[in-house]
Amino acid sequence: MRKRTQIYTVSQVNSLIKVALEENLPSRLIVRGEISDFKHHTSGHCYFSLKDQNGILPCVMWASKFRNVKFSPEDGMAVLATGHIDVYTVGGKYQLYVDKLEPEGVGALQLAFEQMVKKLQAEGLFDDVHKKPIPTYPDRIGILTSESGAAVHDIIDSIRHRWPCVKLLFYPVPVQGEGAAEKIAAALRDINRRNKKLKLNVLIVGRGGGSLEDLWAFNEEVLARAIFGSKIPVISAVGHEVDVTVADFVADARASTPTKAGVVAVPDMQEVLGQLISIEHRLTGQTKAKVKLAQQNLQTILASWVFRNPLSIVFTAEERLDELDMRMIEATKVLLAEAREKLAASYQQIIRIEPHRLLKNKTVELNNWQNRVNVGISAIVGDCRLQLTAKANRLAGLNPKSVLHRGYSITTNKKTGLLVKNIEDVRIGDYLMTELADQNLIESKVTKK
Amino acid sequence: MAGKKQKDDLGELSFEDSIKELTNIVSKIEQGQIPLQDSLQQYEKGMALIKHCRTILNKAEKRIEKITREEASEDEIPDKNK
Repeated sequence: MRKRTQIYTVSQVNSLIKVALEENLPSRLIVRGEISDFKHHTSGHCYFSLKDQNGILPCVMWASKFRNVKFSPEDGMAVLATGHIDVYTVGGKYQLYVDKLEPEGVGALQLAFEQMVKKLQAEGLFDDVHKKPIPTYPDRIGILTSESGAAVHDIIDSIRHRWPCVKLLFYPVPVQGEGAAEKIAAALRDINRRNKKLKLNVLIVGRGGGSLEDLWAFNEEVLARAIFGSKIPVISAVGHEVDVTVADFVADARASTPTKAGVVAVPDMQEVLGQLISIEHRLTGQTKAKVKLAQQNLQTILASWVFRNPLSIVFTAEERLDELDMRMIEATKVLLAEAREKLAASYQQIIRIEPHRLLKNKTVELNNWQNRVNVGISAIVGDCRLQLTAKANRLAGLNPKSVLHRGYSITTNKKTGLLVKNIEDVRIGDYLMTELADQNLIESKVTKK
Repeated sequence: MAGKKQKDDLGELSFEDSIKELTNIVSKIEQGQIPLQDSLQQYEKGMALIKHCRTILNKAEKRIEKITREEASEDEIPDKNK
């Protein structure tokens, strides 16, 4: 029988390859290789190749699987990829469908930890300049840890043992498992938001010891950022001494274990009591010294002669006063004597001039002149009197009214008051007033003209 | 009374602030710049502060308050015994 050459369809070939692969390869295998051409699609799926010196193997990792990968795969990284081989018929290639990816040599978590530390350090989250000082004498402390487990008791005991007067507030949070980091971060933000009312001075975030996986929440970015963003200082107290987490780097202070939280958060009460005693001694001592010094000063002052013999000042002054008094009297006496001498001398001078005799002469002379003046004046006055009399007589003679003495009279019209000088000045019936020499008046009436 | 008012003020003072004030007072007196009358006043204030600090320290807190998310008030629970 002639064998006809079979013609296959593409789909058939692909199917056959698929079956062949399924039969000849383990359903699940682990492949070692170097990552190359790693692409993390927006869909969440990852596409990359694993390669060694001789060739490459295309790989796919679905988003649901990649979620569990804690580290960041990078080109060139040596990894162990676990999955199954299958044929991508649409693309005509075989691929390794990876469901687990691990770095070779070091643990996945360890690598993720190192990567996270590098990343956040580069951003400056660990820098000292951002670290807030832990208050020396806190009075309200917030504790974030699991409600179960020994950590909460360790933290509380370590604090109460050293500084029992502080108020403790407990905010229970999950410290491992899915979503723990987010919950702790949310708790930190919640507390910060409410701190005006809560009034916490410092926070302690921690948990007991465990594996890297158990502690993983404290290496996650969301928690690191929440610690960084906390306005209240945060102390991390995670795991055993040897465990160092990202939270420890970013916190404002680190307690190596929950048991050491007290040492970092609060002072030692006994020590502080001792300090108070020494302050008290200093205060008392200094004040006593000051008082003593003041007393000594006072004593010195009292001991001075001023206080011992206060009147001596007065006596000294009196003595001086007496001295001055005497000097003044002496000086005055001298002045007085001098003045007397001067007076005597002047008196003698005056006497020599014989002023009384001069005065008498002059008085006589004056009297003489006085008399002559009197005589002269009398003569002048007499002369004037004569002249006056003559003039007066002449004047009297000219007085119009003197004419009246010779028998004349003055007649006026009573009505008009005018002098009657001619016959026209009067009418029949007019009244007339006549003034006589003795100044009497006659009233008459005109009866006939 | 001046003395009584001082005591009332001290009642509110935190430990941190009390120690700060105390340190102030002691250095002032040690420097010797203040007159005698003032040093005596400061001494009294200092002793009151020391007493206040001791009172705070000797008050041992037994309770632990529990906070939960988004609650306006705080519940109190007694201290957990080991």
